[in-house]
Amino acid sequence: MSAVSPRTRLTVVPSHRIAVGRGLSILAALGIVAITLAAMGRSPIELAGLVVRSTVGSRFGIEDLALFMTPLMLTGAAVWVGIRVNLWNIGAEGQLYAGATAATAVGLFTHWPAIVALPAMVVAGALAGAAWIFIPAAARAWLGVSEIVTSLLLNFVASLLVYYLATGPWADRVTGALASTERLHVALPELWGAVHLGFLLALGIVVGLGVGLAKSRFGYETAVCGSNPQAAHYAGIKVAPRILAVLLLSGALAGLAGVFEVAGTVHRLQGGLANNYGYLGIVVALLARGSCFALIPAALLMALILDTGIVLQTTQISSSAVLAITGLLVLAIAAGDEMAAYVRVNRN
Amino acid sequence: MALLSDLLGHAVLSGGVLALGALGEVIAERAGVLNLGVEGLMSLGAVVAVMTVNATPHPWLGLLAAGLVGGLGASVLALSSVVLRANQVLCGVAITFLGLGLSSVIGRSVAGVPVSAVFEPVSIPVLSAIPVIGPAFFSQNILVYLIYLVFPVMAHFWLFRTRSGLDLRAVGENPAAADAVGVPVMKYRALAVIVGGVLAGVAGADLTLAVVPVWSDGMIAGRGWIAVALVIFAGYRPIVAVLSGLLFGLVTAVGFMGQARGWPVAPAILNTLPYLGTVACIIVPMLAFAKLRSAMAAPAALGTPYYRSGR
Repeated sequence: MSAVSPRTRLTVVPSHRIAVGRGLSILAALGIVAITLAAMGRSPIELAGLVVRSTVGSRFGIEDLALFMTPLMLTGAAVWVGIRVNLWNIGAEGQLYAGATAATAVGLFTHWPAIVALPAMVVAGALAGAAWIFIPAAARAWLGVSEIVTSLLLNFVASLLVYYLATGPWADRVTGALASTERLHVALPELWGAVHLGFLLALGIVVGLGVGLAKSRFGYETAVCGSNPQAAHYAGIKVAPRILAVLLLSGALAGLAGVFEVAGTVHRLQGGLANNYGYLGIVVALLARGSCFALIPAALLMALILDTGIVLQTTQISSSAVLAITGLLVLAIAAGDEMAAYVRVNRN
Repeated sequence: MALLSDLLGHAVLSGGVLALGALGEVIAERAGVLNLGVEGLMSLGAVVAVMTVNATPHPWLGLLAAGLVGGLGASVLALSSVVLRANQVLCGVAITFLGLGLSSVIGRSVAGVPVSAVFEPVSIPVLSAIPVIGPAFFSQNILVYLIYLVFPVMAHFWLFRTRSGLDLRAVGENPAAADAVGVPVMKYRALAVIVGGVLAGVAGADLTLAVVPVWSDGMIAGRGWIAVALVIFAGYRPIVAVLSGLLFGLVTAVGFMGQARGWPVAPAILNTLPYLGTVACIIVPMLAFAKLRSAMAAPAALGTPYYRSGR
């Protein structure tokens, strides 16, 4: 085996290696997709042209990208604050539903002016998101029960409850559209076409979170708890309350994604509102790796994939194909990031 | 009496899917690999079973094809998270996306079409005549006997009574020590993930060939995730995992009965029962019995990739 020079694994991978690894793995995934499409008798080049024209090539496409980015930045941030300290919140989907439901309750059943109602919706949504993860968070912090499965199972509960509310007690009785509530009385102001204030707020939250966690005592202490709970304990940091706090923050961020969806984009509560944003938040957080600010380009990339999905659906390729393509991309990127960590060692 | 018997019968049937999924996951997690792709693999198994049976009216061929597809999907997971050592949570979620998406794409032509041949119930003489439990336990399709008797005993024997089972558990507890005594860590982990994937695929086939004889998009509805949760509840023990599958089948059956009998509770609310029940069953025992926390603890190296140089 002397012909092959040995490789060693870097513990900290420089970003240019990650960029190359990722570029190659995305290309490989797209190559597999192109071959599959060609085998199905579709022209990958023609489809790619169509996708570029109708996403970044048109005003409507760009507005759509911003609308997709808004919840993705927030669910991405929700998962990211967890991963930062070795906690996996896979339940952002459910927390998004909880936030959306709380915001809808404020929007439907109060008749406050927008200046009062909108902040109330934001607060209610963030609290509801945090409340939705409270039990998994407390169980993880004090009982050591894996948060992965408990947070995830509550997604199904939230989705069923929203479906129940939207088709049952809260259903729109005015227009007779039984699948959703009526339009909320208040909406986030629109800034540019359909792009609403939520987009700017989400950007601000991500930047604020990045700066806040890097500069604050809370950010430092939670980082210590994440990388070495025993060291944190010996340093006098109480680990369990920090775990709880991080997960509640994570739930609140996902709840905000739900608030902005109902208050800015969808304007009513309906089943399927979460649109997989919670699960895709995991992908966004993975793409961003250690950097909070990188959540913004990561959300853009994910929004581009979602928008591509919408375009492909107009050409009779089902939306589930897009889910499969997303899975393939995540797999490729996860593998690419790992392979980028290996460097050749020169023994001479 | 008839109600109780119906309830039990339904519990045994629907619990079997969860039991199989959980059993496969026990094997993977005992080797230290968290396979979060169960939901996707089950979905692939379910659709491939329906397609195979509709092409060749043999349920056993459908079961075989589902097992093969589950194993194939799991080998993709093994390649990425065991051989390449990429993050197990991410690879698992990716496999779930991939499996759900692919099964929906390939299943379009068979969606809503009743399956042409299913596993028919087989009555065991004498035993099936016992009131209440007879029809529920001894008048079921053959898969039920495999799931509740044969597979868990085989898995238990393999993991706890053979040398290779010991090696597999060692790889999940302390891969560095196992490696030091010459146990091939990567081989055992890949094998465990693939065996788990085969069982997940078969679980999907059990769903479409014995429980709900039709493929529809999204029909797995979190069963794979519940199976992953049951593994924690069962303390990573194969026989307990299968029994807890039965327990959760009972929770599902209560909701199902409620709908069939027109209880004054919305179906959507009844449908939350299995998920809420699972969460409660994972957390409450830990809260009540502090001792359980060490007895039911996860394999020490669960979820962590093994690097020989980093030991």
